[in-house]
Amino acid sequence: MTLGPSALLPLPVAIPLVFCAVMLATAHLLPGRLPDILATLAALSVAILSGMIAVHAADGPLVYWFGGWEPRDGVHLGIGFGVDAASGWIAAFIGVLYVLTFIFAWGFFDRTHGHFHILMLLFLAAMIGFCFTRDMFNLFVWFEVMSVAAFALTAYHLEKSALSGAINFTVINSLAGFLMLGGIGLIYAQTGSLDFEGIASAVGRGGRDPVVAGAFCLVATALMIKGAIVPFQFWLADAHAVAPSPVSVIFSGAMVSLGLFGLAKVSAVVFAGSDQVQHALPTLLEGLGSITAILGGWMALLQRHMKRMLAFSTISHAGIMLTALGALSPAGTGGMLVYVVGHGLVKGALFMIAGILLATRASIDEIALRGLGRGIGPAGFAMALAGLLLCGLPIGVLDQGTRLVQGALWHQERWIALAAGAIGAGLTGAAVLRATGRIFLGLGPDPGDEGGAPSEDEREKANRPLWVMLGPCCVLLAFDVGLPASLIANATPEAASAFMHQPSVSAKAEGPAWLTWISVALALAGAGYGLFRTRLPKLVIRPLRATQSVPTRALELLHSGLIGDYAAWLAIGVALIASILAVS
Amino acid sequence: MSVVSNILPYAVAVWLFGAGLYGIATSRNLIHLVGCLGVCQSATYVLLLGLGYRWGSIAPIFYDHPPGTPAVDPVMQALVLTDIVVGATLTALLLVLTIQVYKRSGSLDPEKLRPMRARQGSDRAEGSDRGHDGKRTVL
Amino acid sequence: MTPRIRVALLALAGVVLLPGAAAVITGLPPFGATIAQYGERINAITPEARHVANMVSAINFDLRGLDTLGEEFMLLAAITGTVVLLRGRRGEGNTERALRRPGRAVIPRSEAVVLVCRIAGPLTALFGLYVVVHATVTPGGGFQGGVILASGTLIIYLGEGYAGWRDAVRSHWLDGLEGGGALLFTLCGLAPMLTGAAFMQNIMPLGTFRDLMSGGLMLVENLGVALAVAGGFTQLFLEFMEETREADELDEPGEESA
Repeated sequence: MTLGPSALLPLPVAIPLVFCAVMLATAHLLPGRLPDILATLAALSVAILSGMIAVHAADGPLVYWFGGWEPRDGVHLGIGFGVDAASGWIAAFIGVLYVLTFIFAWGFFDRTHGHFHILMLLFLAAMIGFCFTRDMFNLFVWFEVMSVAAFALTAYHLEKSALSGAINFTVINSLAGFLMLGGIGLIYAQTGSLDFEGIASAVGRGGRDPVVAGAFCLVATALMIKGAIVPFQFWLADAHAVAPSPVSVIFSGAMVSLGLFGLAKVSAVVFAGSDQVQHALPTLLEGLGSITAILGGWMALLQRHMKRMLAFSTISHAGIMLTALGALSPAGTGGMLVYVVGHGLVKGALFMIAGILLATRASIDEIALRGLGRGIGPAGFAMALAGLLLCGLPIGVLDQGTRLVQGALWHQERWIALAAGAIGAGLTGAAVLRATGRIFLGLGPDPGDEGGAPSEDEREKANRPLWVMLGPCCVLLAFDVGLPASLIANATPEAASAFMHQPSVSAKAEGPAWLTWISVALALAGAGYGLFRTRLPKLVIRPLRATQSVPTRALELLHSGLIGDYAAWLAIGVALIASILAVS
Repeated sequence: MSVVSNILPYAVAVWLFGAGLYGIATSRNLIHLVGCLGVCQSATYVLLLGLGYRWGSIAPIFYDHPPGTPAVDPVMQALVLTDIVVGATLTALLLVLTIQVYKRSGSLDPEKLRPMRARQGSDRAEGSDRGHDGKRTVL
Repeated sequence: MTPRIRVALLALAGVVLLPGAAAVITGLPPFGATIAQYGERINAITPEARHVANMVSAINFDLRGLDTLGEEFMLLAAITGTVVLLRGRRGEGNTERALRRPGRAVIPRSEAVVLVCRIAGPLTALFGLYVVVHATVTPGGGFQGGVILASGTLIIYLGEGYAGWRDAVRSHWLDGLEGGGALLFTLCGLAPMLTGAAFMQNIMPLGTFRDLMSGGLMLVENLGVALAVAGGFTQLFLEFMEETREADELDEPGEESA
């Protein structure tokens, strides 16, 4: 067929699959470190190939038809991959994240005969397929491969909490898969196609159609479950808190944002022609996103188990990404895509620091670890930097994404989303900075509300020198801070337009600079309050504590960890989305 | 065809999903819960096969019938085949988790199984927690 | 949340969703009236384009082969996950003693069962092979056939007992079978690219319509799937059965081998 750059498209998916199959077939023969080396090489090749694809896709989206089944007479017969520059760069970012995670986990899983690496590489291949595909059912297949690999990786510790976290994760995400499949069935029956473009043109031809709206409702619910949006967020904290730290790096850094990436693609490309869906989206995404951003941030501040805290912080940032999508403009979506990368880099680094604490200090509990971080100062610096970046310190990729998102929202005068985003980012930053102060400086002897939060003793194998773990973490932060801003600023508008299949517009809006500083100030104030509460006058503390404690208990009660509750919330969420669609 | 047969398979799919979800929400046994998840999934089978069906058509295999005979939608059948594999993988994984949960806690009741709980007692005495090595994950 | 509140929430959601579901159902084409254009087109062109009679196999292995590749690796992920999670506690060794439930009598296996299983086992395996090789002309295929092949090994276990079966079947052979089959399938995708064709493009001779040897590359892919599925499901069975054996020590040595 083609020998151009398009011919590269199947490779980032196929190469990890080949590595998986070979590693499984020879599992009992593989000596010691070979799985580590093979997995790192596979991830590296994925990163490089995806980067090459992204560079080529800058001139226009690349399309590849599997089996040579090109569309005939307007009917899409086979499965296609369609890659624009943004999808390519996201895939390259995922590849880089995996390379660094494999280095971080070097030797950590040495007694599993490479089974851990097989699962991780399958996870990687599924994520790349999810980014590249332009076929609804193929999207579902990669969605499920991603889920199945993730379920197994979550329960790896086999602790009671790990098992129940994994069960919650599995059940809720399986339901997500079924809903998505139902949605795909509906849209296929109505439009007679599974290809993104094929569906989009049929949807555009058909006017207001309850079947299209129903299909969107189901597919969007599934992707929001993956993206941990309120009221579907419950599984995330249970699962991310108990997964081994290298796995959590991938979960928070890539998997959750990919759910929203999929939502962005589906709503901008597949359902672009449905006025009903497009009218419902701003309200829906802004509303749910704002609630998610604040709830996640608030819950993060109330945690003492560091991985659980970071999990809630991921929920908060997923909410911010969702509000960005709600702008429905290339500026908002472009900002969201940059935000995905920046957030992945910073959150990945933070989970690596959690892993370092688990390995070298044998605990993950903020209060138990108080002052114990003194021997590993560099990790403390990294954590403080990551905390500041998370709340909006104006340098680096994450900040650039934040400002693009805020610009798009500011332009459309969406004050609620702007405020929720700033507060959410501030609260998560406060949580991370408070933990840094407590662990590495020994501050905050008297815990506040976080003292009553769930926690558990946990430890990870300490078989690696500190620099092997700290190195990848610093590389992630260096990527975030060091990537040239002009490069991203120049590429983003065009890439976002291509991603949304819209004509390119050069208008680029940025939010006011003071908005990010508000988040930083909020974070510092929150962390300061957490650490120096005892030194404040009683007059200040009492009202603060009163307003804090009651909602805290209520929220903690909602996150009960019971699968039955989560299923009920899931139904409520679907009903909510359906009613917003119905009234628009 | 009557109104009932026009919508019956779709209504059954909705009913199955609702019934499965009800089962998941109220389940007191993990194996029962896995079964309920299977019920939810069978809703997708019914929906997909129903959407791909056409009266008076043959199965999409042109061995005894010549090509060109009206046949039902082969795409839906292929999708259901994939869906069945999804079901098999999920059931296997969930049953593994169930076995491990039972070994660890001696109970199959999801209500008794909570991911992580608040610690009992004072936290300033963190040293005392370290004593129970049996309770710790050692990896 | 008490179960009562939970059910109330579910009922509330159901009441809200019911009109929506009704609107969607009435908006759909009536059941059995028509099928989508995509499926119609495949039924029309594939017998001639690929010389195969079974459209579902043509979709699974050719038109939408990538989905099946993903599905194959989903199975591989589930089985790898099962192995990791079950062995995490137990370790890899296998012990001789089966777990016995106190108070339950141990009934010896009757000769009739042994005989029936010895007859049925090979027959089931043969039937599995038959289903595998007739993928393109009958409602068979690698997945269905692979599962039947795996159940053949299960019948052998019923007849011969677990200990003997466990000695005969080595876990790493099954790994090899599973990984090898998946590798074969992936290579069927990559190999055509070496000739300049597309991933998984059917460049082999297509054979004659309604013949066992029709479909070209599909036959090889089908074989890969059959191997992987047979190996995978036997592995799954073996790992679950191993759970019924008595643990060597009671101090859970698996904790450290995770």
